[in-house]
Amino acid sequence: MKLKTQIFVVILIFLNLSCGYMQEVNVYESSKSISAYDKFPYKTLFKDSQENGLWGVKSNSCKEVFFENSNSYIGNDHLHIKWNASKCNYTAVGLKWADYKVKDLKPIIESTAIELHVRIDSGELSNIPMFFVLLDYGGNQCRANINYLDLEGGKIDSDWRRIRIPLQAFNYKKRNVNMSKIKELRLEFQRMGDLHIDNIIIVPHKHNYQKSRETFTKVFNTHPIQIGVGKEYWWGINKKYSSCLQFGSYFENESVVVDLDESKEMQWNTFGFSPYQWMHVDITSIYTSSAIMFKVKSEKIPALQLNLFSYKGKKRRLQKILNETHFIERENGLYEAYLPLKSLEGHKEFRWDSFKEIRFKILESSKCEIGDFQLIEFRGNPKKPTQWKGI
Amino acid sequence: MERNLNLFFCLLFSILYAFTAHSQASKVEVTTNSLGHFELQKNGVPYYIKGAGAKDHFGLLVKSGANSIRIWSTNNKSLLDSAYHHGLTVTLGLHVRPERSGMDYNNEYAVKGQIEYLKNEVLKYKDHPALLVWGIGNEVDLKYSNFKVWETIEIIAKFIKEVDSNHPTMTVIAGVDPSKAFYIKKYCPSIDILGLNVYGSIENAGLNLRKFNWNKPYIVSEWGVNGPFEARTTSWKAKIEPPNGIKADQRLRRYQELIEKDKEFCLGSYCFLWGQKQESTATWHGMFLSNGLPTEAVDVMHFCWKGEWPNSRAPSIRNIILENIGWRKDHIIAPSSQATLKIELLKYNNKKIIVEYVLYPEAFSNKIGGDIQKSPEPIKFEIVNQSDNELTFITPKEKGAYRLFAYVKNEKGQSSVANIPFLVE
Repeated sequence: MKLKTQIFVVILIFLNLSCGYMQEVNVYESSKSISAYDKFPYKTLFKDSQENGLWGVKSNSCKEVFFENSNSYIGNDHLHIKWNASKCNYTAVGLKWADYKVKDLKPIIESTAIELHVRIDSGELSNIPMFFVLLDYGGNQCRANINYLDLEGGKIDSDWRRIRIPLQAFNYKKRNVNMSKIKELRLEFQRMGDLHIDNIIIVPHKHNYQKSRETFTKVFNTHPIQIGVGKEYWWGINKKYSSCLQFGSYFENESVVVDLDESKEMQWNTFGFSPYQWMHVDITSIYTSSAIMFKVKSEKIPALQLNLFSYKGKKRRLQKILNETHFIERENGLYEAYLPLKSLEGHKEFRWDSFKEIRFKILESSKCEIGDFQLIEFRGNPKKPTQWKGI
Repeated sequence: MERNLNLFFCLLFSILYAFTAHSQASKVEVTTNSLGHFELQKNGVPYYIKGAGAKDHFGLLVKSGANSIRIWSTNNKSLLDSAYHHGLTVTLGLHVRPERSGMDYNNEYAVKGQIEYLKNEVLKYKDHPALLVWGIGNEVDLKYSNFKVWETIEIIAKFIKEVDSNHPTMTVIAGVDPSKAFYIKKYCPSIDILGLNVYGSIENAGLNLRKFNWNKPYIVSEWGVNGPFEARTTSWKAKIEPPNGIKADQRLRRYQELIEKDKEFCLGSYCFLWGQKQESTATWHGMFLSNGLPTEAVDVMHFCWKGEWPNSRAPSIRNIILENIGWRKDHIIAPSSQATLKIELLKYNNKKIIVEYVLYPEAFSNKIGGDIQKSPEPIKFEIVNQSDNELTFITPKEKGAYRLFAYVKNEKGQSSVANIPFLVE
């Protein structure tokens, strides 16, 4: 190879190698992004008593607070609290957290946690009766407790163990706490305990848990509604103990055959069912224009007491003894009964968003079949239920 | 030498056997007997629970004829050890946080954290020789609206089935109700026994369970006298507590006529409370006083469990009357005025009794379901005259609600107590 060719090849190799070390550079490269956590300036709540302010550290009959120098996790000392809260309404220690500066936690709620290290002098615990409380400048406060999932090793013992309280674990929405204006963190103590605490800081944290909105509620907005569908949602019918009440088959939907003789023993005279699968049944929007309707096959009108129950509220039971005005005879021995919900005394105090149960009591010896229970539209006079032309 | 060696090995074997036997968990099963009745068997032998909700006084409990205690959480292992040393079994509560305490069963983080914590507790205690039955949750149904809690109960019960085949599972509810029976049947197939905390509602509990088509056995996990939540109140909302003597009669009847008689479904019971706690008053449910002295309720349980009264019985206060008006009525008295309290009592075989009267401010509380309540401090008051069954005193000058207690005890400290609320106005 001629010298010129050799020099050319060497230059080519050199250039090629050089290109390999060259980086691609965008003319308009964006600057490296800074996370919300990085931007948050108040990451330290407590490292030692010299640097970080606390209140409530004066010992009293319910708690003793020490700053101990030996065996600290970090800094010159750490917090040691012994408490017996049984004689006090409130036992707590407050962290002034950057001298009560306004802390905006909103940008870091999703991505951070309060971290601390704890230990006890001896033994082993899986739980400590204490709460973490965040206070805003409006005086609202939300709380969270220690969750086993974020307790290092699942226990507290004589080694320093890490605990994390994700900011999302605080019930700030429920308590209407303004997370962009947080004033302080409090450690609230209950029952009895003895705990060493150190290094309370804000740390990045992934919290991969969801909150569902399940309410076990069935909402009804339109009529008619077939109620009590499904024998598994009924009670009071158990042939092993009483044959007074048995499921019948005369009507299209669920019905009860009543054969009650009060002169005999073990005569069950009460049965009930859920309007819908024992869920909270919400008929708030239609209850004022609703009536319970059911059919009766009997030689005469039976003496019935009807009770409605709700899951919630102060008034959980409405009661009515039906009389002749509630019944229309459609055929010979076949009646329809109507009970407008507005006719029930106390209906305004009843929680129609949490309707639970309809219960019947047979008040005297009877032979009949009762069934086909519905909630129908009713816009007549509640006091004269069978005189409305709409039925 | 050979004899000594044999002796040594014999001793060693005995120690090892004793150690093994002591550290072995019992095999507890729910079975049915020849009559088709549910039965609890411990190590193959029928075991009827004669129990109490108890944290102390185990010696007296055993002496009274009990064989088991119920505790509500796993936060005190020494209770199990102590029960075991006294020959008592334990229904051990796994504390499932009720919704009313702020627990949100739609919060996956809180739910999973609780489940993992309780699984760990199960592993810690499953081999304890005193363990009889797991009590998963206590009154989680009280004032709840999120039925998802039953999923948690089932996950824990199912876990127990996986890791501990020796002990049945129970969940404890506050009174019987058709919706609760439905939900537990549907969501908690791994639950073997239903625990019933029933006070006034004990009267129809067994019948109602049959009506609600409950088809597994039950334990009366808490029972006693009607609770403060069922009591009549005065016009100023103070709860009216019956005297000890009336409560003792109620306990005896309920045990004999309701608990013992249901041989088909009931595996036994735990009376409430073999100890003392503040629940509206300091003496409502507790069978002991705050100073540790036993009341006549202890004698009643002795009779229930052993079929005979103890040799030494506590006196019994049958009635308490303030200003000639009985304890069931309202009592409104002027400030700084003289008033007279009378008690009617049975001394039984006691030659000497000691009577003491203590005045407290009324302890109004809106806590429910056995949640912790604070006890008030006693108030000093002026006694004009005092005899065995009558007290003349000066009412407080401050207007307000008060409660006057009469304590009667024999020389052994066996006691009876009654109180009467009054309003100074």
